[in-house]
Amino acid sequence: MPHPYRTVAPLLLLALCSSACLADAVDDLHALTLADQAPVQSQQQRDWQFFTEGMYGYAFLKNGYQHIPMARLSADLFVDTRATESLRFIFANRLDGQSYDGKFSHVNTLKEAYFSWQASPSLVFDLGRINQRNGMAAAYNPSDFFKAGAVRSVVSTAPASLRENRLGSGMLRAQTFWPGGSASAIYSPQLADHRDSAPFALDLGASNPANRWMLSFSHALSATLSPQFLLYGEAHQSPQLAFNLSALASDALSVHLEYRGGRSKAQLDPNAPQRYYSRLASGASYTFPAKITLTAEYQYNQAALKHAEWSALAQDPAQYWSYRSRVFSAQDIPTQHAAFFYSSWSDAIWPQLDLNWMLRADWVDHSLQSWLEARYHLEQAELALQWQSQSGHRMSHFGALPDSVQLLFKYYY
Amino acid sequence: MFKFSLFIAALFSTYAIAAPSPQNLLAASDAIRNPGQPFSLTSTLIEYRNGKQTDTTTLAVYARADTHSGQFRNLIRFVTPQRDTGKMLLKNGNDLWFYDPASKASIRISPQQRLLGQAANGDVVTVNLALDYDATQASHEAIQDGEQQMRSATLLKLSAKTPDVTYHRIDYWIDHNTKQPIKAKFYSASDRLLKTAYYRRFQQQLGALRPSETVIIDGLDPQWVTVMRSSELAFRDIQESWLQRDFLPRFNPEQK
Repeated sequence: MPHPYRTVAPLLLLALCSSACLADAVDDLHALTLADQAPVQSQQQRDWQFFTEGMYGYAFLKNGYQHIPMARLSADLFVDTRATESLRFIFANRLDGQSYDGKFSHVNTLKEAYFSWQASPSLVFDLGRINQRNGMAAAYNPSDFFKAGAVRSVVSTAPASLRENRLGSGMLRAQTFWPGGSASAIYSPQLADHRDSAPFALDLGASNPANRWMLSFSHALSATLSPQFLLYGEAHQSPQLAFNLSALASDALSVHLEYRGGRSKAQLDPNAPQRYYSRLASGASYTFPAKITLTAEYQYNQAALKHAEWSALAQDPAQYWSYRSRVFSAQDIPTQHAAFFYSSWSDAIWPQLDLNWMLRADWVDHSLQSWLEARYHLEQAELALQWQSQSGHRMSHFGALPDSVQLLFKYYY
Repeated sequence: MFKFSLFIAALFSTYAIAAPSPQNLLAASDAIRNPGQPFSLTSTLIEYRNGKQTDTTTLAVYARADTHSGQFRNLIRFVTPQRDTGKMLLKNGNDLWFYDPASKASIRISPQQRLLGQAANGDVVTVNLALDYDATQASHEAIQDGEQQMRSATLLKLSAKTPDVTYHRIDYWIDHNTKQPIKAKFYSASDRLLKTAYYRRFQQQLGALRPSETVIIDGLDPQWVTVMRSSELAFRDIQESWLQRDFLPRFNPEQK
């Protein structure tokens, strides 16, 4: 039986209120009553995540307006567990079974498998296949040196997907920390000299094609400014210097800059003499109170093609597609100037529904790629509808690609 | 008459010495919400919209006060829902980083962007208000607490010391006797009510009676209610060097 004061108190309060106060008091009373009925739930931290994802859709080819059915089933496992107090084991693997125009294929990607030894609270050593990711830019990461050749199974051209579903590199990594900063050293040896397309291959030729090393250093200069410097070396290539910088410009605006420079070969002609090339990505992200975040990014690659070179290449389809394939494998951009826009609207129209829109623009050939996604979150699952369309000349960066529509269902275990 | 005046003067001077200043009252209330050394807790957020339970999020919160500013720096790790397991948010004042273990990406986010997620509600609990706000005592009044009982409270009006805090001003009710926080109203720079919080279900934890549940009512949509339950409060060895962007991929909840 409730305490009499507990029953009388809200009534007394209501009696003393003005109408505005009364409305607030009723809302508060309603909320507290709900809270009284809230179930007691207990969740323990898990050291693994596993999901399966199914996709069905169509690609729309522009030559003859042909519709090609496509389907995919994927299984993705991530484990981060502790063998002893100072030794962790990290494992990430993905299996994709795909059907395109009735032709079935399957590819396994061993993303990560490594041991991490915390020698002291401020010193860690890692050994194994590690997805070493660098870069603070949203879509184009010139300082992400270990991305080249790492994508084994392309399930989406969205930058986030290409970053997630890739091979790590076999390496030894040491990292030390101090308040506000860290430094690391990486050595990644050559383990094979050609790629292996067998479905369950470790594909060491893709993950470790050459002897490589990297040094990184970062230190906070102020509460909101923390640059990172990288020095990268690869056999038969000059060292590359890179830095990442991000800052908070206002309560709702963050800005970023990512740069890489060094002597290298031109993207089109690997036999041309080396010269100094710069690559950069710079942009900003602004959040509106209506749960909408807009990101815009400018992308520049001096080693890529100018307008005249790109137009000339389009006259030779074999060379054109070979170049595109090489650039895509390196996860770089084919022309010198590009832009990226991303809009994300959380709880759009109704709760748990996200609307995402991505626009990629090639500023050299003026082609566009637009990608629209509606994603609905259920307790253990996600349902998404994605529509991608391209515009531009048929041999332009994006105009050459098919449009598509996909329905996806993702279930977490 | 002179003796009487002296008595009254003595009485008031004693009261002036004994009565804590609004700022000290606020600091005393902060100490009830937050232990004085690095700690962790599990926070379960049950979300209701229009009276129906719509979402549940479980967060592991790791907090350590900054050696210089004294303000809490938080590492928040998502436990549930499963789609967010392992994602992390580092909050060091307005230096905010979001980490996704799938992409290995640590992305700087703005304070506004953080407000979109449930992790922002952690601010209502693990924050030292006395460091970021100037408190003035507005009044003593009887209010209804989170257990729907009348309490004798001191209403403190808090105004931000700097413009870079999430909430521009806060109305904060503290129990007159125990200094326990009872209720708070958080306002934006445009003086819009962002959220109302009731601190309740006080339990003996880490040497003090601390609130184990906070009921948060959205300022714009009062039908959006979040019940935030704190459990497994424990002291933790959280190194200063761990609270930075580069350590996010390495942070493991089992670290002792």
